[in-house]
Amino acid sequence: MTAVAPERKTSPVPAKRQSPRQAARFDLLRVPLLGRFLQWRGSRVAMQIPVLLLGLVMIAHAFWGPELAPKNLATLLTWVHFRGLVVVVILLAGNLFCMACPFMWPRELARRLFSPRWRWPRALRNKWPAIALFVAVLFVYELFDLWASPYWTGVLIVGYFAAALLVDALFQRASFCKYVCPIGQFNFLSATMAPLEVAVRDRGICTSCATKDCIRGRRAEVATSRAVGAEGPSCAAAAMQLPIVQRGCELALFQPRKVGNLDCTFCLDCVYACPHDNVGILARLPAEELATEGTRSGIGQVARRFDFTVLAVVFTFGALLNAFAMISPVYVVEQWISRVTGLTVEWPILASIFALALVLEPAILLGGAAAITRRVAGSRDSLLAIVKGFARSLVPIGFGIWLAHYGFHFLTGFLTVIPVAQNAALQSFGYPLLGDPIWQLGGLPQSIVFPMEIGIMSLGLVGSWIVAWSIAREHSPRRAVGSFVPWGVLHLLLYVSAVWIMTQPMSMRGTFLGGV
Amino acid sequence: MERRMLRRSGAVLVCVCAVVAMSGGCRPASSDAPEIQIQLTLQPSPPQVGDADVSLKMTDAAGAPLAGAEVRVEGNMNHAGMKPSFADLKEVEPGKYSGTLDFTMGGDWFLLVTAKTPDGKSVERKIDVPGVQTK
Repeated sequence: MTAVAPERKTSPVPAKRQSPRQAARFDLLRVPLLGRFLQWRGSRVAMQIPVLLLGLVMIAHAFWGPELAPKNLATLLTWVHFRGLVVVVILLAGNLFCMACPFMWPRELARRLFSPRWRWPRALRNKWPAIALFVAVLFVYELFDLWASPYWTGVLIVGYFAAALLVDALFQRASFCKYVCPIGQFNFLSATMAPLEVAVRDRGICTSCATKDCIRGRRAEVATSRAVGAEGPSCAAAAMQLPIVQRGCELALFQPRKVGNLDCTFCLDCVYACPHDNVGILARLPAEELATEGTRSGIGQVARRFDFTVLAVVFTFGALLNAFAMISPVYVVEQWISRVTGLTVEWPILASIFALALVLEPAILLGGAAAITRRVAGSRDSLLAIVKGFARSLVPIGFGIWLAHYGFHFLTGFLTVIPVAQNAALQSFGYPLLGDPIWQLGGLPQSIVFPMEIGIMSLGLVGSWIVAWSIAREHSPRRAVGSFVPWGVLHLLLYVSAVWIMTQPMSMRGTFLGGV
Repeated sequence: MERRMLRRSGAVLVCVCAVVAMSGGCRPASSDAPEIQIQLTLQPSPPQVGDADVSLKMTDAAGAPLAGAEVRVEGNMNHAGMKPSFADLKEVEPGKYSGTLDFTMGGDWFLLVTAKTPDGKSVERKIDVPGVQTK
């Protein structure tokens, strides 16, 4: 009967059942007001609706507002504020963008309309579709100068809504989030650096839990099952026929075996479903989960999954590539490729740069580091196995580079949203509803932001070293130093490259071959 | 059932595509005076980061200089999130205006020239300035 009649959230977790460390952990859900708000089931929708409305305003401005990117809310909010805020918020709290994701609310409506019946194809239950889309977004961003085009930025936003709607209207569970969404994968990897995670408060309670509602979802109350006349053994079977009133984790993360923030959208379905009030948003050490070996619920072993390895590589080397493409030396590379190959069309030249940066360079650097590690450690593992084992150590430095780059644009331009919004209101209503545009508003001066960029990337470097050291000790306890050094040098190379890029004068390019 | 679902999905997609496609031609019309010609030159050329001298020549449909206009140039980068630069141009001889504009960063810029002629006509032009060079 317990399977259908889980105890409601009434009793707090007994303190004596918690370990000292668990008891000491900060829990966001215990914070007055904010905690109560987050535990309210409508909180996610309450966060999604304003973001969705903002998204609709951006779409409208993209198609009907000024065609000039710096004066358009779609380009400004997408490429300056949204990107900057995502990484800053992840660093300070966690994956709150997925929590308030505006693409998910239309999805809920679509689900009511379509009642999806299909399961996501088994062959695609991995990160490959999302990796392909992630690279595709980076590529079209450069090819079509998306930052300079309100129209195509609007098309991208509408396309994203359409893709989320289509996938989740056809396929059950959170297929779009887990297997398709490139922003989601970016957030999942970035959130490994977050100080908060959705986690179990007391594992002892989970051991004795019979219903596992956090993953299965909570079904209708006992009273309902009695009302349909089921009793005894038939009751359990009947209970399984009852409707789910609170879904469990749709990303297949079973709380007692969940590790860290990978694949977690902070949707809090597990919090609402748990009948024992045993799931919280707990403080943890950023990047600690990257040093953790073993099987994770809903993911398996990260160190054995080639798709996760490639995702980490694309995430990290993509950060360098995305920043490199905004400085003038990229013209030199384009011109060199053009001279060598005779190509004069942009897309194959750009594709060559992507192949160099995302395939050839990582293959040489990671393969080289793995070969040295194998030799020093006397390991019999294949090079690929060693690369898979160490790949997750790239994430902290990769996140540091993304944060430095996007943080630069956000911090130097966060106030520009005020005159652009004032101008939008002026043009829409014919009078200065928000006041006359104050075009002189910008943000922090570059001289202040630059040291912050260096500091953030330095922290990323230290994070990568700590993770690599932990993996090296696990991988070859007796020759940990020798195993670590090649990876430490690789991280240092990435760091030096990123510092060099950030010290170059920004040159917001949009001219193929530098206008030559 | 599955066919119906597919049909519904298709309908939603078609609607979304239609909205996007239709939106292309819905921008507000400009209230520009197309007969007025504007010629703008920058010094140094090609422009570099820092102050640039802006010279602007304005003529009417017959090619006669347009004197006595209020002319303003606004420089923007093509990337959002950058503070614009402004220059109010002064008339140095009939129909010729000049001023100084600060290119704060290397890269692709565009200039918005707005002018009001003595007879009340408004002119607004966008002039691309690709590849402002870093020193």
